[in-house]
Amino acid sequence: MHILIIEDDGETREFLSRGLKEVGHAVTLVEEGREGLFQATDSNYDAIIVDRMLPGLDGLSLLKMLRATGDLTPVLMLTAIGRIADRVEGLEAGADDYLVKPFAFSELLARLNALGRRQAPQVEQSRLTVGDIDIDFHRRTVHRGGKKVILQPREFSLLAELMRNSHRVVTRTMLLERVWDFDFEPKTNIVETHLSRLRSKLNAGFDVDAIETVRGAGYMIRSN
Amino acid sequence: MPRPWKTTFGLTALVSLAFVLATLVIGLLAYALTHEAMEVQLDHRTATETSALLERAGAGGTPALAELIHQRDAGHSTASLGYILVDPQGRRLAGALDAQIPAKAGYFELLHYGKDGAIAQALITDLPDGSRLLVAADRTVIDEMDITILKLFSASFAAMLLLAVGGAWTVGAVTRSRLRRFDDAAQAIIGGDLTQRMPLDGSDNEFDGVAKSLNHMLDRNAALVENLRQVSSDVAHDLRTPLTRLNNRLDEALAFSGDKRTRAIEAAIAESHELLEVFSAILRISEIEAGTLKRDFQELALGDLVEDVVETYAPDFELSGHALHSTIHMGLRIRGDARLLSQLITNLLDNALRHTPAGTTVALNLTASEAFVILEVCDDGPGVPATERDRLFSRFTRTEASRTTDGHGLGLALVSAVAQIHGGCATVLDKPGFAVEVRLAR
Repeated sequence: MHILIIEDDGETREFLSRGLKEVGHAVTLVEEGREGLFQATDSNYDAIIVDRMLPGLDGLSLLKMLRATGDLTPVLMLTAIGRIADRVEGLEAGADDYLVKPFAFSELLARLNALGRRQAPQVEQSRLTVGDIDIDFHRRTVHRGGKKVILQPREFSLLAELMRNSHRVVTRTMLLERVWDFDFEPKTNIVETHLSRLRSKLNAGFDVDAIETVRGAGYMIRSN
Repeated sequence: MPRPWKTTFGLTALVSLAFVLATLVIGLLAYALTHEAMEVQLDHRTATETSALLERAGAGGTPALAELIHQRDAGHSTASLGYILVDPQGRRLAGALDAQIPAKAGYFELLHYGKDGAIAQALITDLPDGSRLLVAADRTVIDEMDITILKLFSASFAAMLLLAVGGAWTVGAVTRSRLRRFDDAAQAIIGGDLTQRMPLDGSDNEFDGVAKSLNHMLDRNAALVENLRQVSSDVAHDLRTPLTRLNNRLDEALAFSGDKRTRAIEAAIAESHELLEVFSAILRISEIEAGTLKRDFQELALGDLVEDVVETYAPDFELSGHALHSTIHMGLRIRGDARLLSQLITNLLDNALRHTPAGTTVALNLTASEAFVILEVCDDGPGVPATERDRLFSRFTRTEASRTTDGHGLGLALVSAVAQIHGGCATVLDKPGFAVEVRLAR
């Protein structure tokens, strides 16, 4: 992917640029808001990472102006320790996702990958198959290797989120946001507990773990 | 440029002066009117006397008239009246009045007579035979009246002036002394004595009213300052430990190599994560307390929301050997923020799970009264000593018993903040075990 990074803090910019190049993305760096808007409208990027606080033109206004031109490039907005209202404002201004600084690089990468996917026009399928698992969103049924698996509604939502993001890591925070609509981290390991229940139901009678844990990053549905 | 009407003394003085001036105008007017009325009365007297004389003389003509005047003068019956009767050539026929008769007939206002400059008011009548009659009335009575009135008014004017100036000064002095005491208190507060309050004199007057309002404001500010001071010192205290640990981990990482180094770095990351969590929790609580999130409130089904969280926690309760019973009154709708309310319930269940031993039963009840939705989360665990209960909803409060478990003592502070922004409150119930009741406005 070709990614535009609009970030005034040099260290964050370098951190992002190094990490993204390492995993094979092309990166363009901009420090200032107006220049960022110019770059974003001038060239075609696969995704834009924009800081909320910028000299020249702040991230929110930049985003609004960009969206006003009809540009739908996926945007991930970054912010210093977030206020609850910040997140809402960012999403309302047209950000596709929102990440609070400081963040783990794996979290950023997982979200960026999820954004890249959204860019392709996506028809919500009623059925998905990944590896030996079939999921039917309408009937809300799951089969593994042709064998029916009975899931609780929450476990079904968890699996659905992982299935929709096959080949991609889904982080714990992403699961909390998308499955539970929690914008905070509970003290109790509810994600782990529910995943382990889902796992044991999916894996009953199988030798291979259906859900892969990516250490320090998140979870992924096994596709082979 | 000082403007006198901007000071109490100046303003009172101006108002008093206006009253004094009004008194002066009224006085002068009364004087003028009285004076005029008395002159009219004297004119009336001379006219009556003239016509009486002419009538009495009748057909007797001028000689009879002269006779009458002689009699009047001799009899002193009309002490304040004087007469002059002259023939057509101007020779005096009768009358003892020591004055010159004016040439023109009619009323004459200021007739000087006698040797000591007395003044009379006269009516001169031309008789048919060419002789002329003057009847004069002494003006002394008017002058005396004038003097009396003037004296009266001067005295009262002086008294008014004195009262006005004195009153203005007194009002000004009282106001200034009261304000000076306010100012002294304010200066003391500026000087750093935040316990200082505006003095009350118990009179319940406007000053006391203002002083009470100011004192309420000062109390409120003092509470905020105290809260802030508490938070700052708590933050400093509570962050020192994790920061020290973080520092130690990084030192270890420098000293170690291989797996041990990796573990030390992972531990350091965990420590810094913990620090960030504390920060975001503090920011979150203050954002909720600021109340601006109320704008985005939406109507929501609280029963469904509570049930969702309970369902989410059920596996963890089961795993840790706790029992979770819930009684949820469905169909309750309130205006609120779903995520904040989820966090409120999450925090209460987290607490119940982490601070009670296995085998504890936790009960969650959602009911409603007329004005509130009532969420109660209680357990039959070891509970919290009554002495520690009051502080539970403050930031960074951790009971002695919970010092050993992780957490930063912000969970219940957030519960309280969320309850408050939803028009309610959170309280610890006096029950065995530990029970929190959260009220949310319906």
